[in-house]
Amino acid sequence: MLYMVNKAPLSSDSLRSCLAIAAPGDPVLLYEDGVYAAQAGASSAPWVLEALKTRPLYALKADLEARGITRRLDGIQVVDYNGFVALVEAHNVIPWL
Amino acid sequence: MKKVMLIMRRAPYGTVYTAEGLRSVMGLAVFELDVALAFVGDGVYTIMRNQDASGLDMKPLGEAFSGLSDFGVQHYYVHAPSLAERGLTTEDLVVPAEVLDDAGLQRLLAEQDAVLPF
Repeated sequence: MLYMVNKAPLSSDSLRSCLAIAAPGDPVLLYEDGVYAAQAGASSAPWVLEALKTRPLYALKADLEARGITRRLDGIQVVDYNGFVALVEAHNVIPWL
Repeated sequence: MKKVMLIMRRAPYGTVYTAEGLRSVMGLAVFELDVALAFVGDGVYTIMRNQDASGLDMKPLGEAFSGLSDFGVQHYYVHAPSLAERGLTTEDLVVPAEVLDDAGLQRLLAEQDAVLPF
């Protein structure tokens, strides 16, 4: 399963609840405000890094660039729209809205 | 002169609130008001540097907020705990905002004739 999260990690429990429920190994794609979870130094960083030990996390490039998120956590993979489509093609998708 | 403050609490781009706040500031310029902007919570993301929204076919909102002195905005404030929680410092911001703690924000809110939330 590919989970898709579009809410910021400090003002919504969307990413936390997704990570609590998604099976280990299931990838998570961060898009729209979800990409703020990639910000290095944020108070969410420790639990986001913990999640990276058991699953890949992807962040959509256009959303990172729009928001000016340049200092990113190591291990979060940046994907462009083609990469986004490839992920969606390869997995069943659960939009975690 | 009446004091009005817009309190920006949401991340830009994800909702329409930030853009509407910007439009409201420009509208307020018509009246003779002392207009201030305060960025709190996810609102601090609004004024992060290096925004390039061309990939979303949108205009960068951070830069737009930095050009509001022409519209009578004299004061920018940012909530320090919100910045720190998000791994940011004032160096990361496009506007020279005055940093406030909780007590400072409370005092500022108490001084206003009106507070508009976005």
